[in-house]
Amino acid sequence: MLRYIIRRLVQMIPLLIGVSIIVFLLGHLAPGDPVRLLLGEEATEEDVARLNAIYGFDQPLPVQYLRWFTRAITGDLGVSIRQTMPVRALIFERLGATLELAIFSVVIAVLLGIPVGVFAATRRGSLWDYVSMIVSLIGVSMPGFWLGLVLLSYVALHVPWLPMFGRDASVFQGLWVLLTQFRADVFLTGLRHILLPATALGVSMMAIIARLTRSSLLEVLGKDYIRTAQAKGLKYSMVVLKHGLRNALLPVITIVGIQFGAMLGGAVVTETVFAWPGVGRLVVNAISQRDFPLVQGGVLMMAVVFTFVNLLVDISYALVNPRIRYE
Amino acid sequence: MKKRSALVAVVMLLVLAFSTAVWADNDTLVIGSGAEAVGLDPRLETDVPSFERINVIMEPLVKFATNMELVPALATEWDVSEDTMTLWFKLREGVKWHDGTPFTAEDVKYTYEWVLNPDNGAPNMGLYAAISEIEVVNDYEIIFRLGEPNAFLMNNIARMPITPKHDGDRSDFRQKPQGTGPYKFVSWTRDDRLVLVENEEYWGGRPNIPNLVFRAIPENATRLLAFEAGEIDIYQGGVVPQEITRLEQDPKYVVQRTPGTGYNYLGFNTKVGALSDVRVRQALSYVINREGIVKNVLNGIGTPGIGPVSMSLPWFNPDLPRYEYSPEKAKELLAEAGYKPGDINIRLFTNENPDRIRIAEILQYEAQQVGINVEVFVEEWGAYLARIQETDDFDIFILGWSGQLDPDRAMIRQFHTNGSNNYGKYSNERVDYLLDLGRTVPQESQESIDIYREAQYIVVSEVPYGFINYTEEVGLLHPYIGNWEVHPYGAAAWQDAHLMTKSK
Repeated sequence: MLRYIIRRLVQMIPLLIGVSIIVFLLGHLAPGDPVRLLLGEEATEEDVARLNAIYGFDQPLPVQYLRWFTRAITGDLGVSIRQTMPVRALIFERLGATLELAIFSVVIAVLLGIPVGVFAATRRGSLWDYVSMIVSLIGVSMPGFWLGLVLLSYVALHVPWLPMFGRDASVFQGLWVLLTQFRADVFLTGLRHILLPATALGVSMMAIIARLTRSSLLEVLGKDYIRTAQAKGLKYSMVVLKHGLRNALLPVITIVGIQFGAMLGGAVVTETVFAWPGVGRLVVNAISQRDFPLVQGGVLMMAVVFTFVNLLVDISYALVNPRIRYE
Repeated sequence: MKKRSALVAVVMLLVLAFSTAVWADNDTLVIGSGAEAVGLDPRLETDVPSFERINVIMEPLVKFATNMELVPALATEWDVSEDTMTLWFKLREGVKWHDGTPFTAEDVKYTYEWVLNPDNGAPNMGLYAAISEIEVVNDYEIIFRLGEPNAFLMNNIARMPITPKHDGDRSDFRQKPQGTGPYKFVSWTRDDRLVLVENEEYWGGRPNIPNLVFRAIPENATRLLAFEAGEIDIYQGGVVPQEITRLEQDPKYVVQRTPGTGYNYLGFNTKVGALSDVRVRQALSYVINREGIVKNVLNGIGTPGIGPVSMSLPWFNPDLPRYEYSPEKAKELLAEAGYKPGDINIRLFTNENPDRIRIAEILQYEAQQVGINVEVFVEEWGAYLARIQETDDFDIFILGWSGQLDPDRAMIRQFHTNGSNNYGKYSNERVDYLLDLGRTVPQESQESIDIYREAQYIVVSEVPYGFINYTEEVGLLHPYIGNWEVHPYGAAAWQDAHLMTKSK
């Protein structure tokens, strides 16, 4: 197992180099000039040339890339053109917010999605089955942006303790305070703020999980060993949960892993609607400003997170299904 | 029993949740903003959101009042010499930086010399390039000598808050600044909030509200909802146009409006194809349905465009040719120029701004009615700007100018043959002459007014731009906020925040 993890980690290196080259090329080959965007519509040619020289954009592309790369491998991701702050600091001060939002969305999606899927599968063909599947179809189809605004206009506006925007406190930090100092205020502040954005972000994933759990569970429930288990006289609920669900979860875990990546992407929209101070907003703003060091650093960081999540998913297969071994 | 105590615990937690949900009280003014500041150093920033915040912490020598007149800030008196080549300032005495150090003329000299040093990479260096020498007479008197005439330099000086000589080179000054303004820096969480506290020793009087918080909320709809829920007290700019009527009718809110300092326009490439013929450009200007665009696309925010100079400025020429919507006149002009319907094919570019896209589509339809085929291309902002600024590969583009505080700023870069923003390659010798001359004449003189009125007349007649609309600034506040007036220049909206009151 350990050897497998190490091998996967080593494999990440060429992957991340590839990502960085692609991001670098996409950024520099797209039309648009960071200096002109910095100076705005009132740019003069002299100012443009002067700043291009200061930032080194007058150098050939391979030189610029190598210069960035040699620093990046030492952990120095450079300095944002716009904000003249180290890229690493800018990303790290927001990474927590984005990860927390994504994790919370996944938790909401899993906690609601799996029971709905099980509920529908065990009542196959009933009215409840149809209702829950139609509702989840709507869930998949709703754009996060729209859902976010609906939640704000129809829920937050009428519930005084649900704020409209911002983060104010970290839920995980709040949990720590709760456990160590027995104070709930930080935790509750964090919770109040994250509830709506995490719901907006998690609903489509929840719907996907519900549908997948249902179909996967239905397939498993048709297997011989389920009939055997039932024939042994076990309670049906026991059969479904212990024998059925555990085996049906494998494809669900795969989709959770893939969707986690989609969440980092989808978080951009949610972060904008809810004014959530996350990495997504930072990177998207950086793209529209052609703040190349920030874009490269941000995408690289997202890639690292995504590959780690995938690794975790692969490891968790073995936990759910002991027949899977990594050598 | 166990269950019951768990229930009690949950209820208590909920009560706690409610009790911590008490929003901003009378001690804190919460201002909403459409974007996060890029930084807080006036020497390095170019965007309005940055200056909205900077102008509360720091102050320029002179500033714009809400009637756009220059009023004293760190300078109490000033004088521009007859030839406009020398500027003299008397500075305010007894002013202290937030750390207690006295403010003197050395700070002014330091700020401008820093900006004018090309190694420092100040983006707006060009605005102050006319300054060739700065002489400190004594602690409270300073003289700027110019290397070239620039009668409107004072307006640029009003856009440069002074930074402290003893602290301005600190490496994190841009993130943790200090100034002489009514509020002091406390903390800044980017993309979330900037927290400021009153400067108890402010020369203009101790602020009425002790704490000030800027919240960055990028989405216009969310910002409005946060305002309605009372989470923010006030904001200016980016009010959802479709909601204006409702907000104006609701007694729970106050809407303030004033003409802005900018305009939106169609830019014509005057050097290619049919558009090099002035009659074709005039024909296109006649099919811009300005009233309809302002009413239906902009929801009444703004006024129909006439020329480059704002109507509220004394230089505005009331006798400019008007291109009232008239497809008939457009057809006549096209026939006169020898074009038959279908002869002219034009590519119109815009960025992803939804209002501009709708304007482009309306124009496409109207042009079709007079026999001009317009194809619309929507591009991402960076790519769009690159196309307009770096290539000639366009026929028409839609763009806007903001902060056009005087006729020089509104015209010389756009319409001078060598103008840095003359993307459509417009050229007229008389206009060049007038715009150069205007810089050498004191801005309060009748001569200055005559010069710019003539230049406007030529420009509007020759249509390098099809003027669409003048902008309007909208401020939205709760009635419990007092002593505030919407500012035509958004960046200056909160410069007098110390006078504001809050009684909720």
